[in-house]
Order: sequence, then structure tokens, then C-alpha cells
Amino acid sequence: MIAALLLIMNVGFYFQINRSIQKLDNVYASNVDMTLLSDSFEAVQNNVYNYLKVKSSDAILAYYQSEAKYREQLNKLNDRNIDNSVKVLEKNIREMSQTYLKTTAETVSAKRGRNVERYKLKYEETTQLYDYIQSAMNELNNQLFKNNSQSYESLRQVLKYLELTNTVIMLVIVLGGMAFLILTTRGMVKPLTNMAETAELVGQGNFNVKMPNTDAEDEVGVVTRAFNTMVESLDEYVTKTKESMEKEQQMTERQLLMENHLKEAQLKYLRSQINSHFLFNSLNAGAQLAMMEDAEKTGIFVEKMADFFRYNVKKGEEDATLREELEAVDNYIYILNVRFAGDIHFTSQVDESVDNVRIPSMILQPVVENAVNHGIRDIDWEGKIHLTVKKEEGFIRISIRDNGKGMTQEQIENVLAGKAGEQTEEGDSTGIGMNNVISRLELYYEQKNLLQISSEGPGLGTEVTITIPEDRRE
Amino acid sequence: MGDKNKNNRILLAGGAVLVVIAYLVSNSYYQKIMKDAGVGEEPGKTRDYQFEMIVDSPNSAFWQAVYKSAQNTADNHNVLLELKGTNWDAEYDKIDFMNMSIAARVDGIILEYNGEAGLEEKINEAVANGIPVVTVMSDAPHSQRQSFVGVSDYQLGVGYGEQVANYMDEVGTKGNVLILMKRNLDDMNQSQIITQIRNTAMEKAEDPDQIEVNGQNLLSAGTFDSEEAIWDILQQGTIPDILVCMDAESTESARQAVIDYNLTDKVKIIGYYTSEKIMKGVLKGLIPVTCSIDTDQLGRYSVEALTEYLEEGRVNSYYTVDMEFVTTEAAEKMERSEESGEEDPIEEPVSGE
Repeated sequence: MIAALLLIMNVGFYFQINRSIQKLDNVYASNVDMTLLSDSFEAVQNNVYNYLKVKSSDAILAYYQSEAKYREQLNKLNDRNIDNSVKVLEKNIREMSQTYLKTTAETVSAKRGRNVERYKLKYEETTQLYDYIQSAMNELNNQLFKNNSQSYESLRQVLKYLELTNTVIMLVIVLGGMAFLILTTRGMVKPLTNMAETAELVGQGNFNVKMPNTDAEDEVGVVTRAFNTMVESLDEYVTKTKESMEKEQQMTERQLLMENHLKEAQLKYLRSQINSHFLFNSLNAGAQLAMMEDAEKTGIFVEKMADFFRYNVKKGEEDATLREELEAVDNYIYILNVRFAGDIHFTSQVDESVDNVRIPSMILQPVVENAVNHGIRDIDWEGKIHLTVKKEEGFIRISIRDNGKGMTQEQIENVLAGKAGEQTEEGDSTGIGMNNVISRLELYYEQKNLLQISSEGPGLGTEVTITIPEDRRE
Repeated sequence: MGDKNKNNRILLAGGAVLVVIAYLVSNSYYQKIMKDAGVGEEPGKTRDYQFEMIVDSPNSAFWQAVYKSAQNTADNHNVLLELKGTNWDAEYDKIDFMNMSIAARVDGIILEYNGEAGLEEKINEAVANGIPVVTVMSDAPHSQRQSFVGVSDYQLGVGYGEQVANYMDEVGTKGNVLILMKRNLDDMNQSQIITQIRNTAMEKAEDPDQIEVNGQNLLSAGTFDSEEAIWDILQQGTIPDILVCMDAESTESARQAVIDYNLTDKVKIIGYYTSEKIMKGVLKGLIPVTCSIDTDQLGRYSVEALTEYLEEGRVNSYYTVDMEFVTTEAAEKMERSEESGEEDPIEEPVSGE
């Protein structure tokens, strides 16, 4: 709309300038016309004179031609009583010329008729009129010249002024256009710059910055809204990733922990493995020797020892059936009884329907070992250990009871927390402490508190209960 | 960004309005310049008739005043009036002007007849060509002229004669009176003035025999020669006691000459017309009395006579114009009345014919 307005104004100016230039062209036209008129007039007079002098047909032809031409030009002059000095002069010249031409005609015809006196008289009249008309024409020419010079001067001024105005308007338009352009691009560039800055902030981890919301329908608005959505999405994504990474970390931790424990056990096993391998090979040889020497008891003893250590070696890495564990306990007790001359009274009561349940290996033997070492060692009365395996609703209860020293509540808590086992590792044990058992139970079944210790007090014996979920049947 | 857009729009709209205003302002300025240039302007009104006014001294204050009044009347009657001989055509004489007017086939001629040879024939020629002629200030009664506007020579003669008689008494019974006029003495009209002045003077004076009244013609004098003639007169032996001037130029020249020759006590001037210079002379007493003709009526009646003839086909053959003689006292009274705004009668009204 504004462009249309400016266009119209420009066109208007163009037309004004055009008109002014045309007027400028016409300015001295009237003078030129006047000169032409005067020339024609002179020609008429000269031709009359020529004809009077020579009276040739050429001359009269020339006269008629110039007379016709002059008449034609006369018609352009004003013939009305107009209140304007130029117009009055024109009218006077025109009217006087009519009289003049009448007189010239009379002169010429008098000459033709050879009326000497008359034509001479008429010629005088003609010349007199010629004189009047000539000075009137001069005066008219002068006045026209003055007027035209004025007009010319004014028109020059007008053109100068138009030039100035045009320049001004052009400047205004240019400046306006530039301003408009700048405003528009600023409107576009600013949000983009903002966005770039915001993007940088987002890149640095700040997801709370957002671009100001915009309703603009143009491309910049679209990009801005998309940007905001993107920042939100980034925020959610980062949060999700963090959570999943934390979860992963937890899982890795657990795995590592499990591996750690296993490695610990493995290490211990390996240690004992090295020993065990040599040992039970040697024991096997010993058993055979004993057999060869007919030392039957010794042979059985050494064999049991070899079985026990074999089991130790074999089952270091696997889980085992309940039956195999109980056998290991039996072997252990047999060995101990040989050492301690039957001081260890071991009884068991097993529900054989759950023989095949798989449990981690080397669970029961260390517990029995604990009962022997901490329960019934160094007591004054007869030590008894009783092991029961009962199937109950959804789980299997394994109980190992001794009538030994018993434990205080504090001791129980220490053991369960895993703090008490360190000292007796190097001593008289297979090296697998209660900690290990508890941990491996936890890891195997992914449950805690599967091993419970209860004691009614010092001197009143201890009972260790292991609760095993039943769903791991072979 | 809605706000910003709106702001932009308002800015642009404001800018556009400014530009439009600037355009209109500059356009009107442009129009003004064009008008001042006179380019594309309209010529004057178209009139019904064209009249020519042909007088001896068109540039003199007297005839300029007459022309102004005539011009006004011409405007009112939608007539175009030209005064001949004021600038570029000053070299031509009245016969030339008559020829020009006849050749240009004007609608009417106002002529100050002066008895010039051939002028009466020209009047007749004009009338024969259908151009009515009105004589003004000075008549050609035997010509075909349609009407005469002015003061008759008889009236002039009586009036001036009275004035001469008045001053005869001052000078003493013997007195030399010289009458200057721009006319041919051979014409009967002029001699009537001189005769009448002589008669009236002698009638009114106490000793008629002592009075000598002569006339001198300044007609042949060109532009400057009237002044020269007056100087000659005042250098000669007989310096007139009373110098009667019957046109404004002569009056002014006489006044100047009298001052220059230090003849203010010796020569009394009875002047003609009331131009500024002449009035100054009257106030100072250099020109004791001057004849004042109502130029307004003169102009008005001459144009009206022509238009009436053109419209009615006939016209009065004589229009009288008021004439007054203004003395120094009267002049003083006039000046005082102008300053105070009162009306004061002028002395010595003269009755017409």
C-alpha cells in the first residue's frame, strides 16, 4: 500500500517536471512566431515595392504568395478586445494589417491599371501603414520577450525546486526503505541470535533456559517453538539416561560385588585347592598303603579324608545337592571324631524328599565346623550336634543345633553382620567363614537373612537355621 | 513479535503520512511559484468595445488623471480604453494616431483637438469609416465629431478674464498680459479664448486702455520646447505682468522659470490644472491662481458619450465639465481641511454656459 502511494507520488512528480519542461520549451516560441510574422510582413512590403519597380509576373506572383502567407499567419493573432497589453497590440496589428493588405491590393491594382498617380498615393499610404505596423510589431516583440524571460526565469526556479524536492523525496524513500529493511531483518535476526545464545547455554547443560514463547506464524516462530520443544525433550532424555545409567551402575555394582565374593571364595578354594589336590592324592596313596598293610580303620579314615577334600576341590565352583552336602558333613564329622576320639556326637534327621534340592556348595560343613569350634570345644560336658532338614511350606529348613557354649546376642549380631569371622581364618578351619556362607547364600538366592542364629544364652547351646526357598529343585 | 510488527506498521504509516504532507506542501509552493511566474495565467477580460484616447501630452499629470477616470468608466461599461503615445509610440503625432486608429478599426476615438492642420479631416475620415469621435477639452465644432466634452472656450475665456481683471487691480491699471496656449492661433476657436479674456479683462478692469492681451502659440514646440519658449519670453524686453498658462506643462515650466529668473514679484502666473507641483506653487504664492478642471468628469463623460452613441445611435453634442479657479487661500483651506477632515468650500465657483 505504501509502495503504491510512493509510486503515485513519483508519477505525479514526473508529470509535473514533464509539464514544466514543455512550458520551458514553449517559452520563447511566441517570440519566434513574432519574428516569423515580421519577416512575412516585410516580404509583403518588399514584394509590393518590387512589383511597383519592375512589374513582372514573377514579382506579382511573389506578392500574392507572400500576401497569402502573411494572411495565414495573421489569423493566429488575437482579434478580441482583451484587457491585456500584449493582446491589444496583437489586435491592433491584425486590424491594421487588414487595412494594410487592402491598401497594397489597391496599390497593386492601380499599378496594373497603370494609374500612376493613384498607385503612388496608395503606395505612400501603404508605407505609412507599414511603418505603424512595424513599430507595433517591435513593441509586441519586446513585450513578449520580457514576459518570456520572466517565465523562463521562474521555470528555471521551478525546475531547481523540483530537483531539490525530488532529491529530498528520494533520500526519504531510501532512508525509509533502509529503515524498514533494518527493522524487518532485526526482527528476524534477533530471535535467531537469541536462539544461538540459548543453544550455547543448553549445550553447557542448563536445560531451564527457554526462548520466549512466540505466536508468530513466520518461519522464525516455527523454529523458536521447535527449539523449545527440543530443549524440553533434551531435558527428559538426559534425566532418563541418568536414571538408566544409575540403574546400570547399581547392577554393575551388584555384579562386581558378587564376583568379588565369588573371587574371594575362589581364592580361598584355590588355596585350599592346591593343598587339597596334593593332599587327597597323597591320602589316596595312604589309604591304599593302609589297606595293603591291613590297617583297615586307617584306610577308611584316610579314604574319608580323601573324599572330603575331593569334595572340597570339586565343589569349589558349583552348587551341590543337599545329599552331597550332608555327605560332606558326615565325612567331616568322621574325621573330627577320629581326631577327638569320639568326642563329637553328631546326629541328623533328614527329610529325604528334598535330597535333590540344589544349594550352594560348602554351606553346611562350615556351619557345623563353627558349631564344633565355637560351640562344643573346650566344654566340660558332652558335646552334641544335631542337624535336621525339614521340608516346610515353600521352603526347606535346615537346622544345626549344638549344646555348646552358646552365644550372646551381641556375638550373634556381630557374626550376622559379618564382623566376627576374620580371626579364625588361619587357624583350625577349612577357611570358609560364616561371612562367606551368609554372603553366598544371599547372592545365590538373592535374599537376605536366610541364615539365622539363635542362642538362649551362654552355656545353653546355639542353633543355626538356614532357610532355603524351595523353587530350586533339580 | 506481534507488538514489534504493530510498532513497525505505525512507524511506516506515520512516515507515509509525513511524506504525503510534505508532498502537498511542496506542491502548493510549486503552484505559487508557477503563479508568480505568470506562466499558465489567464489573460484579461474580453471587452465589448475598443476606444482610443489621443491627446497632446498623455504623460502629463492632467491627462493621466483624466485617463484614470476614463479607465474606470471604461471598466464599468466593459470597454477597452487605450491611451496613445505614452511609451513606444511617443514619436508619433496625433495625425499618426488617428491614422492608426482608423486602420485598426477601433470602436471609438476620444481626441484632444488642437487645430492642427489636417486633424479635422482625420476626424471626418474616422466618422466616415464608422468610428465615432468625441473631442475633449478643445472642440472642432465644424467637424463630424459626435460630441464635445469639456469647458467651452467661451467659459474659459470668461473665467480667465475675470482672474486677469482681479490681478489687474493689483498690478495697477497698466498691465501686460501674455496668454500661452498650445494651439494654432489661426484657428477660430483659440482666438475666441483670447478675445473673451481680453473682453472680460477690459470689462472688469478700471482702465481698459492700459491692458494689453496677447497670445502665443507653443504648438510647434516639441517635447522640451515649451520650456525653451517660456525662457525666451522671460528673457526678452517686455516681461509680461501676467502670464496666463492654459496647460499644465506650461504652468510648471513658467513657475520654474520665474523662480530661476527671480521674477516672482514681477510676473504673476495664472496657471492651469492642479498637479502637485502646481499646487505647491499655488501654496507658496508663486502661482496665485490656477484653473482646475474636474478631470474626473472629463474622463467619465468622454467615455460615456461614446458608449451612448454606440448603444443609442445618438448623443448629446455637448457635455459640460466643472471648472474652478483655485487661489492660494483656497489651497491653504483645502490643505487644512484635508488634515482635519472638515469640508471647506473653494472660492470663486464659475457658472457654466
